[in-house]
Amino acid sequence: MELAKSAYLTREEHAPAQPRLLAHPTGKTGLWGWLITVDHKRIGFLYGFFALFFFLVGGFEALLIRTQLMVPNNDLLTAQQYNTLFTMHGTTMIFLAVMPLSSAFFNFIMPLQIGARDVAFPRLNAFSLWTFVAGAIILNIGWFLPQATHGAPDGGWFGYAPLTSKTFIPKHSIDYWVMGLQLLGVASIAASLNFIVTIINMRAPGMTMMRLPVFTWMTLITSFLIILSFPAITIALVELMMDRNFGTGFFEVSLGGMPILWQHLFWVFGHPEVYILILPAMGIISEILPTFSRKPLFGYPIVVFSGAAIGFLGFAVWSHHMFTTGMGTVATAAFALATMAIAVPTGVKIFNWIGTLWGGHLQMRTPMMFALGFVWMFMIGGFSGVMHAAAPADAQQQDSYFVIAHFHYVLIGGSLFALLAGIHYWFPLMFGRKVSEFWGKLSFWVIFVGFNVTFFPMHFLGLNGMPRRTFTYDPNLGWNFPNLLATIGSYILGLGVLIYFIVMAYTYFRGQRVKRDIWDGRTLEWSLPNPPPEYNFRVIPTVHARDAWWYEKHHREEIARENAEHAREEDAHGGIHMPFGSIWPFVTSLGILIGAIGFSAFAPIPGPGIGPKLGISLVGGAVMLIGIYFWSLEGNEGYHLHLDKDGNVIEDDAKAHH
Amino acid sequence: MPKFLPTLARWSRLCVALAGIALLAGCDYNFWQMDGHQSTIVVDGPVAREQLKVFYVTVWVTSVIFVLVGGALAYATLKFRARNEAEEHAAPPEQSHGNPLVELSLIGASVLALVIIAVPTLRAIWYTYDIPEADKANAYEVTAVGYQWWFKFEYPAEQAAVDANSKTPLISANELVIPAGRPVQVHLRTVDVIHSFWVPKLAGKVDMIPNRANHLWLQADKPGYYWGQCAEYCGDSHAVMRFRVIALAPDEFNQWLEQQLQTARTVEASAADASRPKPQFAALRSFGQNEAGVTEQFDIAPLESWRAKQEPERNEDPALIARGRELFAAKTCNTCHTVRGHAAAGILGPDLTHVGSRSTIAGGLLENNREQLHRWISNPAAVKPGNKMGKAYVDNRITMTPEEETAIVAYLESLK
Repeated sequence: MELAKSAYLTREEHAPAQPRLLAHPTGKTGLWGWLITVDHKRIGFLYGFFALFFFLVGGFEALLIRTQLMVPNNDLLTAQQYNTLFTMHGTTMIFLAVMPLSSAFFNFIMPLQIGARDVAFPRLNAFSLWTFVAGAIILNIGWFLPQATHGAPDGGWFGYAPLTSKTFIPKHSIDYWVMGLQLLGVASIAASLNFIVTIINMRAPGMTMMRLPVFTWMTLITSFLIILSFPAITIALVELMMDRNFGTGFFEVSLGGMPILWQHLFWVFGHPEVYILILPAMGIISEILPTFSRKPLFGYPIVVFSGAAIGFLGFAVWSHHMFTTGMGTVATAAFALATMAIAVPTGVKIFNWIGTLWGGHLQMRTPMMFALGFVWMFMIGGFSGVMHAAAPADAQQQDSYFVIAHFHYVLIGGSLFALLAGIHYWFPLMFGRKVSEFWGKLSFWVIFVGFNVTFFPMHFLGLNGMPRRTFTYDPNLGWNFPNLLATIGSYILGLGVLIYFIVMAYTYFRGQRVKRDIWDGRTLEWSLPNPPPEYNFRVIPTVHARDAWWYEKHHREEIARENAEHAREEDAHGGIHMPFGSIWPFVTSLGILIGAIGFSAFAPIPGPGIGPKLGISLVGGAVMLIGIYFWSLEGNEGYHLHLDKDGNVIEDDAKAHH
Repeated sequence: MPKFLPTLARWSRLCVALAGIALLAGCDYNFWQMDGHQSTIVVDGPVAREQLKVFYVTVWVTSVIFVLVGGALAYATLKFRARNEAEEHAAPPEQSHGNPLVELSLIGASVLALVIIAVPTLRAIWYTYDIPEADKANAYEVTAVGYQWWFKFEYPAEQAAVDANSKTPLISANELVIPAGRPVQVHLRTVDVIHSFWVPKLAGKVDMIPNRANHLWLQADKPGYYWGQCAEYCGDSHAVMRFRVIALAPDEFNQWLEQQLQTARTVEASAADASRPKPQFAALRSFGQNEAGVTEQFDIAPLESWRAKQEPERNEDPALIARGRELFAAKTCNTCHTVRGHAAAGILGPDLTHVGSRSTIAGGLLENNREQLHRWISNPAAVKPGNKMGKAYVDNRITMTPEEETAIVAYLESLK
């Protein structure tokens, strides 16, 4: 596989796996190596690979949507196709692009930042990855099946009941959506628990909580948001699944169900989800700005605290998505005020970023450009957010293009800009190569211009009364030119993204090789050679200050003494301890995938007996149980590596442990 | 630096210049223009005005903050930027960690700015929720019911004739006629999924949710013709679920009510009509998918167009209308549609008793004229994907020849 190019992915082939079922597989190359990997860096890489793939899919869906709306009364797409596209665009971008891309950084960077050799539960980490892939497959499987009876999900990304009931959408499309999101929830929760345990337990000596890099802090807060918010949507999805499959009446009006209940459950998840998307981005920005300003983050404790405050308040504002549902005056007022309150910690972050720049020596490299672009765009998105918080104004803006403009400013201008910045920033560390400044900056400017041309006019479209989710509009409403402009902008944006990816792909294979710590970084990941070896740290570092690597660079002798001592201690304990690879997380996820397809893609047969629905679900369940069973039996031991002076592996006792 | 860069720069300058000219050339090219039929900025009622006021408060406050914060950001970026190699590699600046006093004062300032927004917000939440006490006695009540994909309007206070002996509350569809200058309480209901009632120039939206008794109030300052649209995604044809609100002066409103309360207008075919020359219809053209169903003339004076629809058509053919009435029953249209006084009492589709007096059909999507009526009844699924009438045609094998369609169209037009 071409993916296995970077050095840490193509280490020496080890002895072939033993025929015994419970033997620990040791392959590190080829497809097998990827399937059994528990290395947080390889898992992070795979998260990033799938996320970027789905980012391109979601982007393509967006371009189709914009092309349909380029002129009034266009007939490029049917209503049905358009509705499917906007549903899948939203679902894909949120669950299959931005979240997993954040997860890629959590996986790859966070353990390096805290001086750990892997996450706390390496096999659970692999399970999260493969379950995420299973969820992505389920969500998209409908594209390839008959559109009249299956089709991809078409109920909108927040799937309001009762439109999603069997009465109104009898097709399997909604079943895929329910099952796909359910699996993504399992993957996210498992991954988050893993990150939380890792951050709390596996920090290097001296890495106190208030010395954690801000990105790691945001990983921690985001992970808590995920484990606290996903249960709400899990419940909602289970109820919807019961309604659609077993005739319950949670949302079924004819059975006394309450459609409004769906909205509360969905947004109790959905609003923290917004912060799940933006907090990692804020973490990345809080790494990049200090590095390229060459001074520490301004007001670190306040930035961390405001991140936590956003996380807490994020659970108290869900109903601002429901200002038009007739909640009554008191509830509306309460949620309006809570929403305004959340602007304070958000604003604080922006102040602190500016404070970081102030008095620095700003190096205008590509990651810095994206980071500054983020601050500007996020600021605009934040302002339109405050406008939504004013509930009476929101009564006009809700479900109009003004909202579309707002959340694309925070999701593209915010989350995505930061993630693109992060890719540029950590690319040299991950792959040992660096993107050319010219092409990096060119892609930034094309993306920046395209983004604004696309989404700025949408504010005005919304204020001029254009509702969202409409496949067609009449020419007499004054919406023609802004729509044309937005479509042209989306092509520019698409071109920028294309340039970005071509440049990335080129750099991956041919880019200029760079030395360690190319940006003069401040956090521990930059102390590593690039790409980092599979064991990450030759010696677990001891942390003396907040910007640990910066401190090390300025106290070399002291650190060298400490490291030598630690290396001796570690060798006395048998060398570097590494976890074994395992195929069982993959098998478990595969079982879940099979069961989910059986349950969502087939109709029950009339009468008793085992039809395809029950049959395939049972097979999937059996495969899953087998996976879990052997996963528990194979044990969690690992093997040891011994290194020479230059960090090369001289001895690998993986075999000895069998 | 690649060689094509100067060329690229030239081209981008040209593009900027062209874009500038295009923007200045005419109002059509102003993307910031916000005076359309569904504008939330050029408004005609107290509720929408109050919402707009709050919006402007947020715009002013955030603009000031944007100038201040953006200014600081731009200044810091320009001032502290490394301009050359030497500055790039200069010794790092002082490693300062922050300033609590600056932080606290900025937090204080943010809270203050939000209070400026919060006060009018709270006031407007209460004002827009319910009709002010003083006006309550004067309020007019209607009920709007969402269907996939059209609106039913009920006038619970008005008793309409079904026949000589019985009456029923007045029911209309897709065009809500209200008295101007009076607050109107709109009860919001739905029979299927969630819809949202939005007339941007009169009031922000409120959702129609199953098992939930929502309401909104609105008031039109003066007589006028307003565009409305469903604002919550409600399935296939959500985009084309539209409606109109027509506000009339009290006299004209009462006049309209009086007409609506009567049973459907009956045009008798007399013996003389048979010998009368048949009106010639222009050949019916075919329509493209999603082709606009409104004309520009309609936009110039929509209220006048609506008024014109209240009068009987000039070149009516009574024989054709009578034939259309027979076909309306024969093709089972009456299973779903009500035409009071014409033995049609279906309730699944819009009430058509006075459909000829409406300015639009098909849920505010098409202008109500002969051509568009033909387009609609000949292939409803093409106009509104997924709608019940299209399904009923297929399920019940309903077919019509062009002549039959012409007769039904003539009948529908006669229902003033």
